Amino acid sequence: MFHAKKPSTMNSHDRPMCVQGDSGLVLTTDPKPRLRWTVELHERFVDAVTQLGGPDSMFSIYSLANPTYIELLMIHQYLFREATPKTIMRVMGVKGLTLYHLKSHLQKFRLGKQPHKEFNDHSVKDGDRVTAATSLELQRNSASSSGMIGRNMNEMQMEVQRRLHEQLEVQRHLQLRIEAQGKYMQTILEKACQTLGGEENMALPARTFKGIGNQGGLIPDISAAFKEFGTPPLSFSSFQDLNICGGHDQQLELHAQSSMGERSSSFDGFMNLGNTTDHNLTLGKKRPSPYSSNGGNSNGKSPFMWSDDFRLQELGVATAAALGPNNEDDHQIIQMERSCNPELDSVSDLYESKPILQEEKKCDAKLERPSPRRAAQISSLSAQGGRSSVFGELLSWQDGKVTDGGERPE
Amino acid sequence: MAMMVDETIPDFDYYGSLSTTTTTTTATTTTSSSENDHDHGCTWNDWSPVLDWGAFSGGDNFQDLIESMIQGHNSTGGVNVNFHPSVNYFWKSISSEDSAGLIEEDYLEDSNNNQSADINGLKLVHLLMAAAEALSGVNKSRELARVILVRLKELASPNGATNMERLAAHFTDALQALLDGAASGTLHAKHMFSPNYKDEQHQGDVLAAFQLLQDMSPFVKFGHFTANQAILESVAHDRRVHIVDYDIMEGIQWASLMQAFVSRKDGPPTPHLRITALSRSGSGRRSFGTVQETGRRLTAFAASIGQPFSFHHCRLDSDETFKPTNLKLVRGEALIINCMLHLPHFSYRASDSVASFLSGSKNLNPRLVTLVEEEIRPIGEEEGFVGRFMDTLHHYSALYDSLEAGFPLQSRARTLVERVFLRPHITGSLARIYRVREEDERYSWGEWLGAVGFCKSNISFANHCQAKLLLGLFNDGYRVEEIGTNKLVLGWKSRRLFSASIWNTTDTDL
Repeated sequence: MFHAKKPSTMNSHDRPMCVQGDSGLVLTTDPKPRLRWTVELHERFVDAVTQLGGPDSMFSIYSLANPTYIELLMIHQYLFREATPKTIMRVMGVKGLTLYHLKSHLQKFRLGKQPHKEFNDHSVKDGDRVTAATSLELQRNSASSSGMIGRNMNEMQMEVQRRLHEQLEVQRHLQLRIEAQGKYMQTILEKACQTLGGEENMALPARTFKGIGNQGGLIPDISAAFKEFGTPPLSFSSFQDLNICGGHDQQLELHAQSSMGERSSSFDGFMNLGNTTDHNLTLGKKRPSPYSSNGGNSNGKSPFMWSDDFRLQELGVATAAALGPNNEDDHQIIQMERSCNPELDSVSDLYESKPILQEEKKCDAKLERPSPRRAAQISSLSAQGGRSSVFGELLSWQDGKVTDGGERPE
Repeated sequence: MAMMVDETIPDFDYYGSLSTTTTTTTATTTTSSSENDHDHGCTWNDWSPVLDWGAFSGGDNFQDLIESMIQGHNSTGGVNVNFHPSVNYFWKSISSEDSAGLIEEDYLEDSNNNQSADINGLKLVHLLMAAAEALSGVNKSRELARVILVRLKELASPNGATNMERLAAHFTDALQALLDGAASGTLHAKHMFSPNYKDEQHQGDVLAAFQLLQDMSPFVKFGHFTANQAILESVAHDRRVHIVDYDIMEGIQWASLMQAFVSRKDGPPTPHLRITALSRSGSGRRSFGTVQETGRRLTAFAASIGQPFSFHHCRLDSDETFKPTNLKLVRGEALIINCMLHLPHFSYRASDSVASFLSGSKNLNPRLVTLVEEEIRPIGEEEGFVGRFMDTLHHYSALYDSLEAGFPLQSRARTLVERVFLRPHITGSLARIYRVREEDERYSWGEWLGAVGFCKSNISFANHCQAKLLLGLFNDGYRVEEIGTNKLVLGWKSRRLFSASIWNTTDTDL
């Protein structure tokens, strides 16, 4: 299965300091040996990628830029399929052959296939919801569907405006639909609380935090699971903060001139909500949101505030139902710690609460009842056009920012 | 005693001439009579880590080999029996003592945790693939599979710290179930379908996991919202709408549709919405309630927002076949057929049942058919069980990764969702792909719809737009593609996961 290859004569690189390991892997003899991407190795790499791809384009251009972890493992394995595991281990210890570097080689490979494309390492690394390919596709679709090709500039402008308007509408509707779902979810949880209230195996967080007691391994799971959502910071931003591409004049030139770089296509700009720029086009209003967290997020993404405390209620409803009728404003199943983002102080009070650290403490002590204040906050938020909910908080956690406290995963 | 290749594993003969499986219904797949040859077309065998499977095809060393493997895990000296040197290296690589030694001497200066995680990931992938190979094809050997699974269990735990570890643990257990089922001859329907997890798991678990699933991933919303948007557009001028829902579950899909109806500006005012949910005898949906409970819930919700609404349910036969005559239809209503499949919190539905529903619907001339399903990659026959297995591994790996990327620190939440929803799906998937003789396993329902005469209905710009916006609320790695004018596919990085497609029965698209 494995055979020692004759020393490669193909290694035409000028470095004389390369040694040939078995299986054609070439390592430099630096103090920290590195793997060289020799022609041969690259050919095997291409072979791996081709084999992994099939007619179904597992390795489409997009995937080459964004391989899944297991794909990287497979490529890696394929590269070294003739190597002994000892070599594998050793080579993986060599600086320069982490999966990360395999990934970057993939990206270069992709570029090699498309030499005219601009390559921006940063943008690719950030990932794209809308790739160049798909956004081009989208644009082509919309272009052809609106018959834009061949029209004059005026008509094009109008068409673009129309599209923009439509996008705004979609945005608005999406928000309402998500809220409706949240509201419905609440009814499910309410019902569940009522029906399961007396049962031993009631494992909803409410019961857990009341310290009803461990009914087995499950309850710690769930309480722990929900606890995890209590720790990240809450950074709010108005939903209206989305960068609608209408804010960018240059992005209005949708089709012909988009450089097709990963970030600069207009639909990217529209869709990529984290693509923060100086323009904050709110829905029809041009003032920046006081909750702008453009500077506050690690990847520049603007999380959302969704209208309503539907989400809060839904999460808190378990407690509400369990603890009595006065608690509809309670929402502290999920304890919330706030990061100290100075811009958000006005909002931070809204969800001020003490973290629930030990289960033996009584639940009531930790529940906050900020109802009057919260009502005031909410109305002030509404006045400013911003609205908040835990759903937005949940979404903001994908930034991965966490304050201290809370449980660490085992 | 001679060690025989175990005969009780059903002889699926992947590498022989397969005459049954086709990957599509429209294309005729030539079933080549493949050789039992490692080099033939089957890339997976080429990937076997330096293991010469020829060593397992019998011969004197076989039993020694097995024993040494078993001993090798327990002894500190590693494997020390005379057999094929490639096997020696393989087992050395996966025995922790040796590789630990290897790693240490090279890693003195490299304390990058990612390296060891990657190496562990590699080990697990190697082992899983080896186990799948041991369970199928020309080299199947139950003893070897058993040994490999033992080793896997040592390395991977369902509560492990990394995705790969937990994923491997769930796959290991699923493979073990295959092994046990094959042994006892009880590889029957029970194992083929996702175990009715609602029986096995606490209701609270399922509800909590469902809530977390919705917060942490876009899958459920993607399916529901895409379908709903298409429905909205197709009934824009109707006063009465009737939706037949194949698997209503907890009913949450209709909350947002009702909201949209209530606030629609063009066309007639809020239409009357009638939903008929198919109900199944037997398995109760304990966690989300019965169909009747869902109906009550929907009725109450509709009332709360001012949506004229009525709810019916229509019984499926005991074998879950759909009879259109059981349906009550009203003249003048726009009929919508809604078929949600494969979402993480769903239970698997037998193909016959789904087929009866979709084909029965055709005769009713619905305005629109909405379909959400898992997106699968057609696997050629020559790849056999191992190919399907690796594809399934890839699929779930992408799912786990997508959850982690969005919520890297909420590992307990993710573990719960994985345990409650994804793990039973894994078990069911493997059981189904193990029985490859099922003809209708590897084509999508979308292809099936096309083949039986449904027409594609275009996905609108607004719908595509909505999907992208939705994904924008989640991690960057999600993407949506529009495929073939009537389908949106949600994927994680390069892996396509779910598709939402729309169909009708006439050529003209409204």
